Amino acid sequence: MRGARSSILEVNDLRVRAGERLILDGLSLAVRAGEVHAIMGPNGSGKSTLTGVLAGRPGFEVLSGSATYLGRDLFAMAPEERAREGLFLAFQYPVEIPGVNNVYLLKASLNALRRHRGEPELDAFEFLNLVRGKLAEMRMDERLLNRGVNEGFSGGEKKRNEILQMSLLQPTLSLLDETDSGLDIDALKVVADGVNKLRSPDRAIVLVTHYQRLLDHVVPDRVHVLAGGKIVRSGGRELALELERRGYDWLREGTAAA
Amino acid sequence: MTAMGPVERIAAAEAGLANPPARGPAWARRRKRAFDTIASRGLPGRGDENWKYLDHSRIAEYPFDVSPTATVDAAALAPRMLPLEHAHRVVLADGRYEPRCSGRDVPAGLEIIDLGVLLERDPQSALAMLRAPGEDADDRFALLADALATGGVLIRVAPGMEIAEPLYLVHLATAAAPAVHQSRVVIEAGSGARFTLVEHFVALGGAAALGNLAAELTLGESSVVTHLRLHEHSPAAAQIETWVARLAGGSRYEQHLLVLGGRLVRSNLRLALEGRDAACRLDGLFLADGDRQVDLHTAITHVGPATETTQDYRGIAAGRGRGAFNGKIVVQPTARGANAIQSSRNLLLTPLAEINARPQLEILVDEVQCRHGATTGTLDPEQLFYLVSRGLDPETARALLTFAFCREVTRRLPLAPVRAAAEMLLAGALPDRELMRELG
Repeated sequence: MRGARSSILEVNDLRVRAGERLILDGLSLAVRAGEVHAIMGPNGSGKSTLTGVLAGRPGFEVLSGSATYLGRDLFAMAPEERAREGLFLAFQYPVEIPGVNNVYLLKASLNALRRHRGEPELDAFEFLNLVRGKLAEMRMDERLLNRGVNEGFSGGEKKRNEILQMSLLQPTLSLLDETDSGLDIDALKVVADGVNKLRSPDRAIVLVTHYQRLLDHVVPDRVHVLAGGKIVRSGGRELALELERRGYDWLREGTAAA
Repeated sequence: MTAMGPVERIAAAEAGLANPPARGPAWARRRKRAFDTIASRGLPGRGDENWKYLDHSRIAEYPFDVSPTATVDAAALAPRMLPLEHAHRVVLADGRYEPRCSGRDVPAGLEIIDLGVLLERDPQSALAMLRAPGEDADDRFALLADALATGGVLIRVAPGMEIAEPLYLVHLATAAAPAVHQSRVVIEAGSGARFTLVEHFVALGGAAALGNLAAELTLGESSVVTHLRLHEHSPAAAQIETWVARLAGGSRYEQHLLVLGGRLVRSNLRLALEGRDAACRLDGLFLADGDRQVDLHTAITHVGPATETTQDYRGIAAGRGRGAFNGKIVVQPTARGANAIQSSRNLLLTPLAEINARPQLEILVDEVQCRHGATTGTLDPEQLFYLVSRGLDPETARALLTFAFCREVTRRLPLAPVRAAAEMLLAGALPDRELMRELG
């Protein structure tokens, strides 16, 4: 069993390119079990690239640096392997997949993870009971289960669906890519509840966000500011409040001067 | 000496008609003209605009001078049939009506006429009933069927009749050796009639047989016809079909075309929305995997005012498969207030697969609403990443997305046994069959 302070994710001096553009330029980050980290930053600072490259989204090239997940070289693992080892990315823009039932994907996904862990697959009855409970927690309409994945979902429903998947899969490391953007206050609270329920001494959560309002409901242990492809400042919860007050410009000036 | 081409073989077939059925001088003239046209202008070829994507050498491999001698093994037939228990079944074996396998109790208002018998007993009536194909390339195979077909079926539903159970028309290929068979089908819906017709192309033997069907469909005023068409075939079989459909005022026609088997399938549909408010909905799905070829052509003409077309065709090509869709919609000056939507979506699963899609819209009047579009591409990388990021392996994710693409069409099939059969055929051709079953 992992100790409460064992390392979940360690990113070292990571440099990543998308096409011709250098997006991450020497990013380092250490996340330990039990922690919630918030990564904040202006648009275009590389937030989505960071979560994408960690989850294995195609289209990025790692130029140098490393990412270690539970002691393993993350970049040597295929995206599906990362998922089966407990890494979860909540998409900023969840993809619509007409023709694939939402409930089918939930089941296929959960059973892929269980098979990987050597656990028996859930039968239809056990699975439905489990998913109905989660659905109620997310205050989601049961009819959304039998629609195509995210098909015709509102923006808020899509984000709730991401959190539903997350709470079903119980990931060791959750990366939430601007899950809070575009949510009304009620949906934000439901999403925050989902995240808070997942908090435990042997899991970690990384929230990528542009605004601090999610952090009123999910209190982070660490706050980092990402600018120009690297972490330019780290601190406690108060850093998020300061960012809310002062914006990001003062930090950008700070890095330019440094 | 070179091997005989189709035209020579057709001439040989003509010469071989030692005892042409005594159909009288009118039929003799009609047949003579057909053979002359084929002899002088040949079968359609690469030079004909609507036939350029078809592998004509493949068609030429079939022996146009050999017609099969049908022997239907009723016991072997049963497991190949769709489980449409209460349907009224009509079996055409190699193009000829097969009473032993067809249903006996014909409900009132439904008329089933064996065209083989009619051609022999009353050739003058048959002459009036069967459309005389034209001379242009698109009608050439219909012309061939007109000249050589010795059978087929006419299905007529009386005005005002509603038939609750579907009609099940089976095109059965029985050949044990390579052969070419011809057939004629005529479907007539009287005004106000309502019924569902399921057509199923299926083979008992695995022989390289080519079927050539010339068919007519007429919808009377305010009739409603739902037409499900499943091309299953054997892997060595080829099918060419030429449909001509006419819709009277207020009639509704819904077609679901599924081309999922056979070495080569060429389908032509020429449909005219003649009367006011006539409407058609055409759904299509083809799969060209392995080295199979599928070539679908539709030509829809809006003649009457406020007529409507909704066409949604999808195609998948894999391996070295080749597919083509050519869909033309013409809105004539008389068709004020017409509405036409046409969409062709195509998926290429492998680098050597090929699909040519060509939607065409020709609008000759103002005050109409028409739009069309065609896309051909590979699986969406963002959808693939979404699925693998949830722990699914990439092969499963690809199969799932491909199946999902098909399901957008199959889920609209109004009869569960046809839907199940289509999805089984699709799942069988796609990887991870077990997974697809589970999807159910």
